[in-house]
Amino acid sequence: MEGPNDWMDAPHSTGTSIMAAEFDNGVIIGADSRSTTGAYIANRVADKLTRITDRIYCCRSGSAADTQAIADIVSYHLEFHGMELGGDPLVEIGANVFKELCYNYRDSLMAGILVAGWDKKKGGQIYSIPIGGMCVRQPVSIGGSGSSYVYGYVDANFKPNMTQEECVKFVTNTLALAMSRDGSSGGVVRLGIITEKGIERRVVLGNELPKFYEN
Amino acid sequence: MSVLCPEIPAPGFSFDNCRRNVMLENKGLVLPKATKTGTTIVGIIYKDGVILGADTRATEDTTVADKNCEKIHYIAPNMYCCGAGTAADTEMTTQMISSQLELHRLYTGRVVRVATANQLLKQYLFRYQGYVGAALVLGGVDTTGSHLYCIFPHGSSDQLHYTTMGSGSLAAMAVFESRWKPDMEEAEGVQLVRDAIAAGIFNDLGSGSNVDICIIRKGGNVDYKRTYDEANKKGQKQNSYKYQKGTTAVLTTKVVDVEEVTVRRIETEEMDTA
Amino acid sequence: MSLAIRPYYPDYSTVPTQHHFNPYADNGGSIVAIAGNDFVIIGADTRLSAGFSIYTREQNKLFSLSGTTVLGCSGCWCDTLTLTRILKSRMQMYQQEHNKVMSTEACAQMLSTMLYYKRFFPYYISNVLVGLDNEGKGCVYSYDPIGHCEKATYRAGGSAGALLQPLLDNQIGQKNMLNVKPESVTKERALSIIKDVFISAAERDIYTGDSISINIITKDGITQETFELRKD
Repeated sequence: MEGPNDWMDAPHSTGTSIMAAEFDNGVIIGADSRSTTGAYIANRVADKLTRITDRIYCCRSGSAADTQAIADIVSYHLEFHGMELGGDPLVEIGANVFKELCYNYRDSLMAGILVAGWDKKKGGQIYSIPIGGMCVRQPVSIGGSGSSYVYGYVDANFKPNMTQEECVKFVTNTLALAMSRDGSSGGVVRLGIITEKGIERRVVLGNELPKFYEN
Repeated sequence: MSVLCPEIPAPGFSFDNCRRNVMLENKGLVLPKATKTGTTIVGIIYKDGVILGADTRATEDTTVADKNCEKIHYIAPNMYCCGAGTAADTEMTTQMISSQLELHRLYTGRVVRVATANQLLKQYLFRYQGYVGAALVLGGVDTTGSHLYCIFPHGSSDQLHYTTMGSGSLAAMAVFESRWKPDMEEAEGVQLVRDAIAAGIFNDLGSGSNVDICIIRKGGNVDYKRTYDEANKKGQKQNSYKYQKGTTAVLTTKVVDVEEVTVRRIETEEMDTA
Repeated sequence: MSLAIRPYYPDYSTVPTQHHFNPYADNGGSIVAIAGNDFVIIGADTRLSAGFSIYTREQNKLFSLSGTTVLGCSGCWCDTLTLTRILKSRMQMYQQEHNKVMSTEACAQMLSTMLYYKRFFPYYISNVLVGLDNEGKGCVYSYDPIGHCEKATYRAGGSAGALLQPLLDNQIGQKNMLNVKPESVTKERALSIIKDVFISAAERDIYTGDSISINIITKDGITQETFELRKD
């Protein structure tokens, strides 16, 4: 007989929809808010957009424990690096620290991370670090189990140099579509608009999400 | 090593018997199982602080091992932690983190923060990759306000306004999802926590017996209500099961005389403090 | 080392997983039966559960097969339903063929053969059959899942069986006691002991609780009774 509470022993993971997109003066990051242990929703208001520095954030997917631990370690390294540098670390460096950890510990980690942020050198940037520890810069990137449903939508609708509100609309729509198709994504859409000024956080509640054809 | 100078055990876990046990297991030995507390533990944030709640049943497979165990553990004067999962792990983990936080408090001279406890706990649990099976609900107050964390055995944590854990967490969460609201009064909050634990006690077989509640108010005033509510009254026996004298068989008798003992009073000496 | 082309998501597995079908469930429940000179009492708790959840708090697990025979079942509930359905039809066939009600002894023997018929795919049930024999004396038959039958005067079975049997051995069987005069148990004492042992079982066995249904069988027929237990 199987144990009566398998989900209790199941690792707490974020079956997720996450994304990030560049726009004319920064990046927009977004995520759903569902985190699950097996079939049980352990947290329906989870925050998968995690601060690394004031202008570098990451979107986490995979094991919650692994990604939280990695984010904490990178945050520590970049804080220290920022002190030595006497200024804000570059997004590229942040992404490389993530990559280094994800690659070196690839056998024991389950983490798919999008690193996004703004720096003086290259403006808004997105780096995708999938399972295995690759690191690649992309103008728009999606991740998590929900992303498989919306690659076509992203390819059809992403345009470089959108305005902020245009891009917010695009990210919200993409995530709403992913969440409606993926069973392990859901809840609210959390957004972060990272520009030179820092981050502006927004939430689109479950009942305020854009509606599409539902059948 | 000499008997007069006992060896001090190395700090941390001992893995000495791991290889031997794997060998024995492969030969068909069934290793003893740790006590898992099928549990309902909960926590909420209310207007003036945090309320934690727990049931008091500990189980070993399908038998009740302890009918009135304590699942709300002390962490710091302003912080308590409910534990579910492997009983030994929740107990030892909270004790160890509690000791680290006390040293931290002495070193900094400040009230320790709940965020610090959360970070220490999750880093410890992450290090053991889920093998330390402690699922925790950490609640407390500090200079930055009231905080509630839910920490999983693999080392992830969530900060929430209301949370439940253990095998009865679904039953308890159903109560919270229908009745929790921000800035509740204390009496209302305590009633909600009681009802959530009661839902676990009655609907989850792994949870049972009584309701323990711990109220941590802003300013550090703590009210630990052990057996806040006896959810179940024990049945009244109809017969007496007292045995008559002489019912137990005596196999052998041996009488040993005790030697005479004299007791001498020793006057205490004052320490020379000159 | 191979290059993983497909990402691995725990909730959205990309490789086929093999599942094993388990035809049995343990739905718990306990049974206690005590026989006397002119009566027999059987009690079963009314909790039906699986894993850590309760299906119902009021499931009768006692089945009256005739005016003097009652069967108590615990274990896999779907097997209980099937077994008792077939038992009842076999009872009726017997009555129509022989124009008489099957005796308790015959019932006991039939149950044994029915269980052994499924020797290699057994009914996962702990059975306790009670009734009055042809002389009107109470008797208890207990079974293992594949048809071994044992006649006794008292018996505990089901999830708390191992917890309760020693208690009955002591209180009814008067085992491990010195200077006690052997005496047969009265109906009133048997009834109160059944209630008391269930109170104890509900304290320590998570699958026993809610309430018990009791059948008291005498020459005047079967009377039923219920008694409340703790519900956690």
